Amino acid sequence: MARVVVLGGGIAGHTAALHLSRMLKRSDEVVVVTPNSNWNWIPSNIWVGVGKMKTEQVTFTLGPIYKRKGIGYQQALATAIHPEGDPTHESPYVELTYTDPSRAGEHGELEYDYLINATGPKLNFGATPGLGPDGHSYSVCTSGHAVEASAALRASIARMKQGEHQVLVVGMGHGTCTCEGAAFEYAFNVEHEVRQAGVRDLADIVYLTNEYELGDFGVGGLTFTQQGFQTTSKLWTESLFRERGIRAVTGAHVTGVEEGIVHYEQLDGTMNALAFDFAMLLPPFRGVDLRAVDRAGEDISAELFAPNGFMKVDADYTAKPFEEWRAEDWPRTYQVPRFPNIFAVGIAFAPPHQISRPRKSSNGTVIAPSPPRTGMPSGIMGKLAATNIVGMIEKGDAVQVQTGSMADMAAACVASAGSGLRQGSAASMTMYPVVPDLQKYPGTGRSLKDTFGEIGLAGHWIKLALHYMFIYKAKARPGWHLIPE
Amino acid sequence: MDHTADDIASAPLPTDKTLRLRSSLVAQFGRFLAINLKMAKIIRKEHH
Repeated sequence: MARVVVLGGGIAGHTAALHLSRMLKRSDEVVVVTPNSNWNWIPSNIWVGVGKMKTEQVTFTLGPIYKRKGIGYQQALATAIHPEGDPTHESPYVELTYTDPSRAGEHGELEYDYLINATGPKLNFGATPGLGPDGHSYSVCTSGHAVEASAALRASIARMKQGEHQVLVVGMGHGTCTCEGAAFEYAFNVEHEVRQAGVRDLADIVYLTNEYELGDFGVGGLTFTQQGFQTTSKLWTESLFRERGIRAVTGAHVTGVEEGIVHYEQLDGTMNALAFDFAMLLPPFRGVDLRAVDRAGEDISAELFAPNGFMKVDADYTAKPFEEWRAEDWPRTYQVPRFPNIFAVGIAFAPPHQISRPRKSSNGTVIAPSPPRTGMPSGIMGKLAATNIVGMIEKGDAVQVQTGSMADMAAACVASAGSGLRQGSAASMTMYPVVPDLQKYPGTGRSLKDTFGEIGLAGHWIKLALHYMFIYKAKARPGWHLIPE
Repeated sequence: MDHTADDIASAPLPTDKTLRLRSSLVAQFGRFLAINLKMAKIIRKEHH
């Protein structure tokens, strides 16, 4: 009998847990440890943030699903990993602090044979003074944050209906943020809502981003063919900004947010300020607060985690200039080299470097989007880790470990630009591979056949269909595993 | 120097015909099928 512990119940962890429960023998055990009682389809938080969906439409309670699937569930926060056990534990184990209201604050320990770290990000609002719901800006990172953002946006629209001019700022709250696609979606959904409310002429909408240029999305931008020409996501995105009348500030690192004013530095070293009436600024991410301890009780966190708190796996973390980055630098199995029974997937693994070219301002401030690794890649990594663990349990050392590098992984993304069955729109994009491989695809780093982008109402229908499909899958309804990640 | 405002100002604007096609129920139903096929191809690549 083997016990697999999954830390985190987000897209990567939940996907891994469901596949493990499907593929493992009944005698084996899967336990999910997650501090949250709800699962959240985060891509639809954008619609909660503009009041088009309610929290209940993007979340559900995990407990009953895990009970039905025979998956153990501990509502707790993992605080430390002991990958070698210790004198009182023969097996490796994790330390927990329960968040379950019936045991809140209690300490626990859980032994494992295999561990999947899918803890996702810590929303690091603290990196920028005044950023976030406890400061002076809103967020859509959780459904609760999105509800607050929606209420504030509605209040701003109400003021416009009274004839007041409003400045609405949407973007990234730090120079090293990721998920530019989500901020892009929110900016265009806000514009759509304001236009629908009939007060577009009273709104100045500003997209404030750490991207060097529009259309970067943290993946260095895309090149695709359109009507016989190669075009770029930069031109395509700029066209959309022009059409919808949204201003943009690029290459920006937000240094602080005060009541009604956001301060930022740009790549040219200038320090600027922008007054706002409403601001939704995403936080930078870092790894969750998780320590690693060896058998003797020594802290080995520096060996298992990168300085940003994400877990180091089978990647090449050698520091090298952008020109020397290679597709092979990216992890293939997501295993921790010294402890092959530990996997880190989704946002929890430490990328070897950015995907976009990193830049510094003339003052030396790093302004560089971090690599996105959410959504489809997260689900694929979760399933990959589950498949390899099942293989390791069944075949031991004879297992043929499957691989799935982001430099050989495709992604399909649909970025909403407004909601509505007849009046919605979205940018549908695919890219292959996610991490450009200039050796394999000289010039653009990606396959022109498999990389494309298109704007239209159809994209909205697809995003809505994905919303229902992935919630169906996450609820493990009949045939769930036939829906691809 | 941030050239983004100039870049946006000089970006191509979609024509009225393009805007109509982007919101036409009939045309977009066709695009819905076509984009789904493209995405299915990407997903097949991913899972094989």
